Parts: sequence; structure tokens; C-alpha cells
Amino acid sequence: MKFISKSFLLVHLLFLFSEVLYAGDTTRTSTRADALQYIRNIKNLSRSNFWPNINPDEFLKNLKEDINIPLALYQGSNTNFCGYAALSYMPLNNDPLGHAKNLIHLFETGEVQYGQVFLQPSLAVRLAAGNLKFKGGLDIRPAEQMWFLSLADHFKSYLNFFNKKYDAGDENTFWAAVSYGKFNRMIKKLFNYDVHARGADLRHPRVGDMYSYLSEQLKKDGTTIVFQNNAYLRKKNTSKLKPGFPTHFIVLLEIKKYENDLIDVIYWDYGFRSLRQVTPAILKKIVFGVSFVSKKRSTHE
Amino acid sequence: MNKLLMIIVIGLLMSSCATTSMVKYYNENHKQLDIIQQSYKEIYARKPFTIEFTDKSYQHIFLELLTDSIKYIYEFDVKETRLNDTLIKFNLPPASVMNLINRMQSIECKWLSNLDYYTEGKKNTLVFLSVKTKDFRWFFTPQKYYIMTYYIQPQYYDSQGRLLDGRSRRRLRELNGDVFKRVNARVAYTISQRFR
Repeated sequence: MKFISKSFLLVHLLFLFSEVLYAGDTTRTSTRADALQYIRNIKNLSRSNFWPNINPDEFLKNLKEDINIPLALYQGSNTNFCGYAALSYMPLNNDPLGHAKNLIHLFETGEVQYGQVFLQPSLAVRLAAGNLKFKGGLDIRPAEQMWFLSLADHFKSYLNFFNKKYDAGDENTFWAAVSYGKFNRMIKKLFNYDVHARGADLRHPRVGDMYSYLSEQLKKDGTTIVFQNNAYLRKKNTSKLKPGFPTHFIVLLEIKKYENDLIDVIYWDYGFRSLRQVTPAILKKIVFGVSFVSKKRSTHE
Repeated sequence: MNKLLMIIVIGLLMSSCATTSMVKYYNENHKQLDIIQQSYKEIYARKPFTIEFTDKSYQHIFLELLTDSIKYIYEFDVKETRLNDTLIKFNLPPASVMNLINRMQSIECKWLSNLDYYTEGKKNTLVFLSVKTKDFRWFFTPQKYYIMTYYIQPQYYDSQGRLLDGRSRRRLRELNGDVFKRVNARVAYTISQRFR
């Protein structure tokens, strides 16, 4: 009898342990309503000693807007924050409550355990957040300033080798730059997603017909993020010498090919959705990385 | 030492030439420029859009059409009938837009847009217009653009004529990383390698 009860206890413990293990390897999700309710319950958010230039009311307003309209999140004009903006698509759409809690915690205490990552932004970054100017809509979005600066301060890759410490204006420099490897790593570590990445910083992905490949990704249950050379799509000068490497992350939403071979690409480019018509040749030329990001699910499901 | 002095003098002369050429350009073309910005503002109020010329012959444009849910970016030859159809579809007056395009072609205006900027937490807008410079440039040196910004309200400038950010007058305003100078109370300019 004693043996049976011990065995039962052991089996029960093993079952509980496996549940914890599965839960730990499952991507956390929550609803928008939960997140908004959580924010509504915050009656008085005091000014934070850790983020002296962030107004708490504006911070909450910004956070609420991002949760209500995830596509409103804005990287700012002429910044290198596009990678951080692109990866924010996942928590804002799939775990807004977790994201809101983490950002509030980061605001109140100056640090947060976000997924596998312990974010503890430097003083220079904490003083800059809320003070970024001349970045268009980002000027009045302190929650995004705090979030992007904290991520850029923490995650480093070879692109950040010569500029690892934040100085004023570094949001536009290599300090904030995101390589393809760093981008995929950030998603895995922060949000616990499966990331299937094709491509590299200096090499196009070998996926055959690019339109067919992207269409296939969009049919699956997940998010497709494209790392592309923006010099062809959004020219800022008329120089014939264009960089032969990717410069911009976008979230691909739809893709459609017409009989005349032109392709409509609909993507999220921060602040709004864009529809751009390109030829198959241009599409192949600009795409350097395609990351398919999907939730990890428990095997019990 | 003499060489260094010469480089400094040439540098100062060149920067002064840039300012003079810009003011001269504005004085010679202000009627056309002012009409372009005014008519753009009027059409934009009906439907937000931007225009970019994509080629040297000023025959092809990127037209960005902004709706509540999506920004459409299409490329057209300005003579294409497809352009007219698209304008009608997006509720833009074809005759006025074509007139605007013709005026842009006549002064080689590369880019025309409405830009949001923020002062003291408040959203403001300005008309942003880029024109290719006609100045002499050495082979391999990048093309430069006169960037003109038209404000709704008169702006503040410092004693050197540089545009200031709002009433506090403590810092220079930057747009796309450039500092602007006074043309008149409502118009400021810079010379940049980037047209947008």
C-alpha cells in the first residue's frame, strides 16, 4: 500500500514537473482585453527616478495606444530602430498583457526580466528616453523610446562593435544597428518563439522563386519578417551607387502577383501599412532575409 | 600653414556661395515655388499624397496615396492614362494634380510632401519640397538639393538666421538631421545630399 502511494506521488510529481517544463517551452499569449484591463487598473503611475525624462501619463497613453493599435507603433524618422520595431509586432499582437507588465516594471524599477533576458539599461539610455527629438511621431511616444533604447543598449552584434556605448544621437548610428543574426536571436530570447530564418547579412536566401516562397510563408500560422535593402524602395538620393546589403526590417502582411507579373507587396512599415508594386527581379534583389516566426506550443494541445 | 589657410578661405567662400546661390535661387523662382506649395496644400487637404520624380528626364513619378488604413505607392509615367484613372479612383482632382506635376517638372522639383513635426509635444505640419541644385559640381561629387520647408506659422530664428525649435529658442530644429536657415518668416531652407 505504501509502495503504491509512493508510486502515485512520484507519478503525480513527474506529471506536474512535465507540465512546468512544457509551460516553460510554450510561447506565452494573452489577449488585448486583458492588457487594457491591466492598464486601466493602474490608477497612479508615479514619475520614475530611473526614467526622469518620461512623463508617466504620456507613457501610459503611448502603451495603451500600442496595445489598442499595434500597427501604430513607430520607429521614428531616420533612426536605426526598425529591427526593434519589427520584433515588437509579436508581443503586441500575441502577448500584449505580458508586454505591458514588463514595460511597466521596466519603467518603475529601471530593470526587467523579459523572457530569458535581463534588461538593465545604462544611465545614458535612461536619460535619453523621453528626450529624443526630431524623429517625427517618436518624439511624443516615450514608451517606444524606452523600449527601443533598452533593447539597443542590451543586444549587441558585430555591427555594434565600434560603438557599444550610447551617446546622444546614437539612435541614428551603428550603436542601434541590427544584424540579421541579432534580430532572430532577440525574438527567440525575448519572446520564446520558433524562428525559421533563411538568408544572411550579405547573401540572398536560396529559396528559388521569391514570390512563391513568401506566399508559402504567409499561408502558415505565424509572422513573416523580411530583411531587405531599402535603398531601392525608398530612395533618399540619386546616387547610382547603392549599398549591396540589407538595411530595413518589415513585417510582410500580404503578397499578390498579377498576370502582367507585377507583384503587390503589403507590409507593415511602422505607423502604417504600405502597398508597394514591384517586379519579380526587384523583389529578388532586395530580399536578404526571411524569418518565419511561430509560437511554440505545448505537445498537449 | 599657407595651404591650410587657403583651404579654410576656400571653404568659407564655398559655404557663403551656397547661401548666396540658394537665396538667389529662391528670389528667381519664388513665384513658382510658392504656387507649387500652395496648390499642393490645397489638394492634400482633400486627400493626402506625395510625389517623387524618379528619373533624370522628370517623366516618371512615384505617387504615394495615403488612406486611413494603408499607404499605396505606385509608379507612373506622367503621360500614362493609368495615372489619371488612379487619381480619379483616389478622389484626387486630375487636372490640378497634373498641373502640379507640370510645375514640378518645370523647376526640376524632385520631391514634394507634407511632413509632421512636433514642438512642445504638439503636432504641426509643413510642406517639404526638394529641388535639384544647378551649381557646378565636380565629377563623382554627389548631387545636392535645395530643401525648402513652408510653415503655417512664422518661425523663430537665431542671430545667424538658423531655424529654432519653438518658443524656448534654446535649440536648433533639425529635419532629417539637417539644420535649416531663414528665407523668410515662414520659409526655411537647407542644402542636402538627400532629397527626402
